[in-house]
Amino acid sequence: MKSARSFRRSFDSLEDIFALTADFFAAHGLDRELLPTVDLALEELFTNMVKYSPAGAPLIRIEMTAAQDGVEVTLTDYDVDHFDVTQAPEADINLPIEERKPGKLGLHLVRRLVDSLQYEYSSDRRESRTTFRKTRAGRTASGSMVKLGE
Amino acid sequence: MLAMNYGADGAVVISGRLDAAQCPAALAFFEKVDGTVTLDCRGLEYISSAGLGVLLKTQKRLTAAGGKLRLVGVSRHLQDIFLYSGFDQIFEIEPAR
Repeated sequence: MKSARSFRRSFDSLEDIFALTADFFAAHGLDRELLPTVDLALEELFTNMVKYSPAGAPLIRIEMTAAQDGVEVTLTDYDVDHFDVTQAPEADINLPIEERKPGKLGLHLVRRLVDSLQYEYSSDRRESRTTFRKTRAGRTASGSMVKLGE
Repeated sequence: MLAMNYGADGAVVISGRLDAAQCPAALAFFEKVDGTVTLDCRGLEYISSAGLGVLLKTQKRLTAAGGKLRLVGVSRHLQDIFLYSGFDQIFEIEPAR
């Protein structure tokens, strides 16, 4: 029910990450309609780690666990500073196009699309763990997110 | 993988996955288009915020010159992503039939 792998801290790892999620969904008979959302949340969280923690350990660990009607995913990043993704500023999606700038949408989307998002940080080990859950019963954008906290 | 080509009707046809790793290639393609451009999204399976950034950058450039990017054949999943991003306010979006 569980699968874990570590990936190089590089955008080039995305293809292998998506292969992992596709294989995991197939192996556990999970609803493939959830897959694009799981991939999106994983990409946004993983690429944030790549962009904002370039001096972190070379590998980032991704663990997937089949949950009831869905999946729980944990990304563990090593030798990094504290950055709580659940507290990142909201993007203003109502700005006119002249004032819109690329960026800031990633975490905004993750928070709207997943059922829950949790961030934990160990300052002793300089290790972050970011966990999200996506299920068929989970909310869509109009629902309310369950924030599990730190 | 991502593929972009011109369709028989002159629309830009995009298919596959527009993730962060594919954005440089997508941006290079979009930088060559001008005027009002129809983007056929029927084959677009996935887009992330990095891909949205490419669409936004293209839309800003085209609208500044009097053109625009129209998105057609947009799947339900992509409609949700565009809605949550506020892109429904800055793009003309036609759902897939």
